[in-house]
Amino acid sequence: MSRRNVELLFLVIAGSVSTMAYVSVYAGRYGEISRVSIIYGLVFVAIFFILHLIVRFVLPQADPFLLPITALLAAIGLTEIFRIKPALALVQGQWLLVGAGLFLITVVLVRDHMRLDRYRYIMGVVGLGLLIATIVVGTTVNGSKLWIHAFGFSIQPSEFAKLAIVIFLAGYLNDKKVLLSIPTHHVLGVPLPATKYFGPLIVMWFLSLAMLVFMKDFGMALLFMSIFVALMYMATARIVYVVIGGGLFAAAAAIAVAIVPHIQERFSIWLDPWPHAATTGYQLLQSLFTIADGGVAGAGLGRGFLLYANRQPVVPDLQTDFIFAAIANEMGLIGAAGVILVYLLFMWRGFRIAVFAPDGFSKLLAAGLAFAFGLQTFIILGGVTRLIPLTGITLPFVSYGGSSITANLILVALLLMVSHRTNVMREGSDLERRRLAERG
Amino acid sequence: MNKAISRIFVVGVVLFVALVVNLTWIMVVRAGWFYDRPENKRSIAKELKIRRGELLGFDGSVIAGSLRRSGYYYRDYPQGTLAPQLLGYDSVRYGRSGVEQELNDVLTGTATDLGVQSWIDRLLGRKPKGADVKLTLVPAVQKTAQQQLTGLKGAIVALDPKTGALIASASAPSYDPTTVEDDWARLRVDAASPLLNRATQGLYAPGSAFKVVTAAGGLDYGKVTPTTEFVDTGTYVVFGGKVTNYGGAVFGANDFTTALTYSINTTFAKVGNLLARKRLEASMQHFGFYQTPPLPLPRGEVAPSGRYGKRGLLAPDAFMDPLAVAWAACGQEKVLATPLQMALAAAGVANGGRIMKPYYLQQVTSAAGDVVQKARPEQWLVAMKPATASALNTMMQRVVNQGTGVSAALKGIQVAGKTGTAERGDGTNLAWFVAFAPAADPTVALAVVIEDTQSTGGEVAAPIAAAVLKSALAQPALP
Repeated sequence: MSRRNVELLFLVIAGSVSTMAYVSVYAGRYGEISRVSIIYGLVFVAIFFILHLIVRFVLPQADPFLLPITALLAAIGLTEIFRIKPALALVQGQWLLVGAGLFLITVVLVRDHMRLDRYRYIMGVVGLGLLIATIVVGTTVNGSKLWIHAFGFSIQPSEFAKLAIVIFLAGYLNDKKVLLSIPTHHVLGVPLPATKYFGPLIVMWFLSLAMLVFMKDFGMALLFMSIFVALMYMATARIVYVVIGGGLFAAAAAIAVAIVPHIQERFSIWLDPWPHAATTGYQLLQSLFTIADGGVAGAGLGRGFLLYANRQPVVPDLQTDFIFAAIANEMGLIGAAGVILVYLLFMWRGFRIAVFAPDGFSKLLAAGLAFAFGLQTFIILGGVTRLIPLTGITLPFVSYGGSSITANLILVALLLMVSHRTNVMREGSDLERRRLAERG
Repeated sequence: MNKAISRIFVVGVVLFVALVVNLTWIMVVRAGWFYDRPENKRSIAKELKIRRGELLGFDGSVIAGSLRRSGYYYRDYPQGTLAPQLLGYDSVRYGRSGVEQELNDVLTGTATDLGVQSWIDRLLGRKPKGADVKLTLVPAVQKTAQQQLTGLKGAIVALDPKTGALIASASAPSYDPTTVEDDWARLRVDAASPLLNRATQGLYAPGSAFKVVTAAGGLDYGKVTPTTEFVDTGTYVVFGGKVTNYGGAVFGANDFTTALTYSINTTFAKVGNLLARKRLEASMQHFGFYQTPPLPLPRGEVAPSGRYGKRGLLAPDAFMDPLAVAWAACGQEKVLATPLQMALAAAGVANGGRIMKPYYLQQVTSAAGDVVQKARPEQWLVAMKPATASALNTMMQRVVNQGTGVSAALKGIQVAGKTGTAERGDGTNLAWFVAFAPAADPTVALAVVIEDTQSTGGEVAAPIAAAVLKSALAQPALP
């Protein structure tokens, strides 16, 4: 079966599962299975069918699993959002449509990710600019400055900055990887490359420290610093960068805990939420209660106790950062672990694309994107389950939020481009390869 | 490069495995522990889907109803808020209190003794239905009591001395249980403590109202008779200190009945020392001091009365010198009592010396309509001999007929009572009145306490007691 037919098959499966889930929630809410609920499911399937057709024509050799995984996660997200706040599901549906549009634009306009390598410094500037803009003109929500309000929309620029910075770093590090990995001197017996190549590391460290202090957000700083360190390591295979990067970030985090009250508060809640059960620890504890209440099998979609009598969610921000608590409550450990497995599957496909990619830029780009995606998932899931300190970050494709779903659809488009090129270069005919080379 | 990429992927896998392990810990291993945490209000919230049983007054009218709105049930108070500190609130965020908490399993239909139908429902896995509870509270009397406390700080407890049934229980200032969630922050810090049930939790120096207990002890142990003669010089010197009368009054020769009528401290101090510490405290114990009255309410919502030290209730045999005994006999020193305890003391005198167990639950009607539980009055304590009770009854009538309690007198009904005024040392008084009526065959006994007043018990508490007694005696039926 061709890659595209595999993709179609899995999309049909994901589409039917999600339609069933939606109908189940609808029935739980209104006590009936109506045409409306089935039409809604079909619209969702249609969006992904169109994306499938685009991929079929433009990137026929791309990985067949990423799009169905995306569809499944988006469906789970939309279903739970509808479950919690029905009005928001429609908005999220519109964002999905916008994201599909951006996916289309990315695929058609960029066509081949190798072109992006040429614009790497522009990408770096764009990424940095988005972050600085957030610091300068951003609005503080829940103690963290992650939002820009413009033209009636709230945008979370860090979601897009993440993509731009991965593109920049993939290009930059691929270029400098040799220089970065040659030791020129030893410090305490540890071979180190020339000091000037530590420059980017220092810049990145200051950036993450600035994010901690000015954005007051631990999660985003951790995400960006980790992306950088991971890419540095993947480019050079030198563990020394991880050690130094990790140490620097730990120092930055320690500074932030000491001087930023918001981060300090989050940290102390993480260590012991119980004394703050009615105040600052309320959200985290309600999240844990909601998750724990799910048990092994869960209450069933649409049947969990997620809303109070006044229709307020049991956990504040349940539809965004805490949507996983809703999933765990209604789908139980089996469903929640299943969702985690689906994310792992996504990450695995991403890394697999990187491993098979023929050139350094493609490798670093795919691995960087997959790593960013996986780590973001870990940060929010670890946060709502009190494995790590809680920070406001979205669960890719599932959380309510326009920036998140559009940026992550672009991320999928990029991964598909890398995998298409990889597969053509490995298995395609000479003609196909030449055509691809011309495209770049 | 591929080796490094694979390693990073392995790190990712490890992180995801950690997520699943932690999730299993939360959702399976610790699930029950999380569910039982007091901070976890999910169990309460789930109960909102069950029709919560209604709380009815003794006259059958609904005090706390159950209204259904979009699948959830809400408390509704058609008569306004009656006895909110006793009945309590039922909040998802802040939990429950009072009767709502105490009878929660009955009101949610999860109690085990709600009849055959509830067993069948449970076996079939049907959603439980809450049982209705009829209380002994009489709404008309309760309303009178609450009106009497308008703008004041204090409490009123009225009960049936023959059964122990609570007729009214008011505490002021009060709060509105329908808006308790919105008002929570303010209610918690309000210096006047509107959430506190002063009737059962408020510990006050009983002052001269306590003389009922001292008198019962003196008569019971044969230390005095109603006609025993004393001489008051305005001061009783004992153990290097002195006991004086309220307002510096001097009464001269007086018998024991006169001493109660005009609340002569020096005489009661002497009686206290005639009894001595041991017998005085024994009398207190006969009245229920030093133990928590068996009114079924959540832990901490009924306080024991007795002598209190810095670290709470003292043991009944804690050391007292004769001066302390003298003042304790006058309801001062370290003696503290709740309005409930003082009402029970009055009820003991009214009921021939026997104090009945206080209760508020008249009957429980299951969702199927069967009466599954009915009040059965029980004796709690024997406070004194019947002869003592009878003598004290006559003495307390004198208080109302010509003594400090004249403003409690009712036309055509003989009231018996005792005033109390405890000076707080900050210029304000605690004003008390304990009473029962009709004296010949008492059907109502009560205690009134007013805080932060410039007046005496006879001036401010006695008229309130009269109004509540009048309202209660005008009722067609009492528990």
